[in-house]
Amino acid sequence: MSCHVAADRAAAAPPPLLQLRARPLKIVLVGNPNVGKSVIFGRLTGRYATVSNYPGTTVGLTSGRALLGAEVCDVVDSPGVNSLEGVLTEDEHVTRQLLTNHEADLVVQVADARNLRRALSLTAQCAAFNLPMVLVLNMVDEARRHGVEVDARRLSAELDIPVVETVAVEGQGIPELKEALTEARPVTVPFEAARDAAGWAHAAASRFRRVRPASVGRLQEFLNRATREPLPGLPILALVLYAVYLFVGVFGAQTLVGLIEHDVFGRFINPAAVAVFERVVPFALVRDFFVGEYGLITMGLTYAIAIVLPVVATFFLIFGWLEDSGYIPRLAIFSDRIFRLMGLNGKAVLPMILGLGCDTMATMTTRILGTPKERLIAVLLLALGIPCSAQLATILGILGSISFAALLTLFTVVLVQMFFVGFLAARVLPGERSDFILELPPLRLPAWRNVLAKTWVRIRWYLWEAVPLFLIGTALLFVLDGTGLLRVVTAAGRPIVTGLLGLPPEAAQVFVMGFLRRDYGAAGLFQMAHAGQLSGTQAVVALTVMTLFVPCVANLLMIIREQGVKAGLGILVFVTTVAIATGAGLHYGFRLFGVGF
Amino acid sequence: MGSGFSVSDFERGERLASLAVGARGVVLRVLRDDAARAERLKALGVTPGARVRVLQRFPGFVFECDQTELAIEPSVARAILVETEEG
Repeated sequence: MSCHVAADRAAAAPPPLLQLRARPLKIVLVGNPNVGKSVIFGRLTGRYATVSNYPGTTVGLTSGRALLGAEVCDVVDSPGVNSLEGVLTEDEHVTRQLLTNHEADLVVQVADARNLRRALSLTAQCAAFNLPMVLVLNMVDEARRHGVEVDARRLSAELDIPVVETVAVEGQGIPELKEALTEARPVTVPFEAARDAAGWAHAAASRFRRVRPASVGRLQEFLNRATREPLPGLPILALVLYAVYLFVGVFGAQTLVGLIEHDVFGRFINPAAVAVFERVVPFALVRDFFVGEYGLITMGLTYAIAIVLPVVATFFLIFGWLEDSGYIPRLAIFSDRIFRLMGLNGKAVLPMILGLGCDTMATMTTRILGTPKERLIAVLLLALGIPCSAQLATILGILGSISFAALLTLFTVVLVQMFFVGFLAARVLPGERSDFILELPPLRLPAWRNVLAKTWVRIRWYLWEAVPLFLIGTALLFVLDGTGLLRVVTAAGRPIVTGLLGLPPEAAQVFVMGFLRRDYGAAGLFQMAHAGQLSGTQAVVALTVMTLFVPCVANLLMIIREQGVKAGLGILVFVTTVAIATGAGLHYGFRLFGVGF
Repeated sequence: MGSGFSVSDFERGERLASLAVGARGVVLRVLRDDAARAERLKALGVTPGARVRVLQRFPGFVFECDQTELAIEPSVARAILVETEEG
């Protein structure tokens, strides 16, 4: 087979399609970020796509099958890259691997027609891999609106590869692209392009692209500007946050949770499970393990599917939509100054916002930050202060019903604490932060197909990674409870919980649960508050400690994976200390000044 | 310094950071005192010859480079030397 591949790569070889081969032809899509690569991918492959991590990395590769002519091909969508040589990001490294490891038979470079200059720089770098190639100029409609015209025919002649113009979201140019694949050839660039890709790209772009000052779509230009300038920008941000709250906090956490927990689980699944186990299983212990107070189904599955899943799913859906709209990078402009004081830069806002959905996933995403110091600080701040969506929902649920002042107190304390810790960490920890340099993609209306695909990948991740932990956590609680250890742990924690924090003794158990999963513990607090076991001030103290507290087990494992055992345990001890100290400070402060909610 | 540049060569052009909102120019070069920063800017198309336009200075510096909008911090804007255009 290897000689087969070699034959493919010789310039004089027949076109790579329409010949017998031992495995399907593998087509790799390459391109800068935000050029519509995933849309092209979707158009080529149709509905079925799988997402997997490139071995040893967290970089996701989407692959699917495409029928091209009479041949079935594998199509791989690589992550967006700006460079393939020099200092590379993890994404860029993976894409480079795909092109060098004999994994790709054919490269389709997708370019934003407007940004021909940057695209050609990448084309010149791709030339080094000597693979048959096609260049796609996508979004030619948007380019025209910006006064940008590219002479695709002359460019094709110059590079000696097919150049296809498309508007992928509308399906324009896709049949032409499929046809052009049969004529893919290794790209020809002059000798100097290999030495200075950027310089050659600049000269080539000015030969084949014409830019006229153009009247851009008024609305898009207005929105681009309004969302990055402070005056309309900050009120718009408040509106966006409110919309997210309505969708996740109200529709997800109240309407959907109510429906699934109360109606589906409460009326059907749990009673049915109890009935089945009572009829089939004669041992009380086994029955309790599945459907008792700490039962895998009645507690673990109910929490995971009925209480947390609706919140996580609605968050991922709206987050994915905002991500594809190009809005989120704009928040980095507003937060850059503050993050710089904390040893980070504006880019850190991306993992922080994702953390509001799931801290574990956000901890993994800290890889996009530039330096080890930044990654460590971001991981620490996520563990300390960012409440995940499920936890946020319980905080809003409990404190919202007490008073707005209670809610404000919690968020103020947590934010001040985060800033303080970040500020100190920036000065104490060794290392540097990286410069803030971020591309702001134009605001676009997201393609629902892509948003849904992305959301589904994340929900699936939640189901695979988090639900087992809910079940393990529940099983652990069951064992702790059955062996009497739960009482021992609760008793051991009592001096801290009742003395230092002034909470009812039952709260100790909730904190143990909270260690397994923060939102799990928060759900426990929710029940205590509903049963009238917590006063207003106690609820604020308990929830503040819980928010600052150790992340869930899944997050801890992810921290250890990202930062190593030593740093992971260090973060665990540090965060726990800060949480308890802050809680104690609040408790005594409230008492001293006679604060009540 | 001690390189072959005379002071006037070294200071030719203006720093992007000093340009007002709406000002246009062409990138002359990017200071290489921080190589990683220069590489990242190059990958995003901030290379000699690129046309730039300042869009915003507060709360962050935003400029258009060729057809790409970039947000950067002030120290990065000081490392980009441009020749300004009239009008």
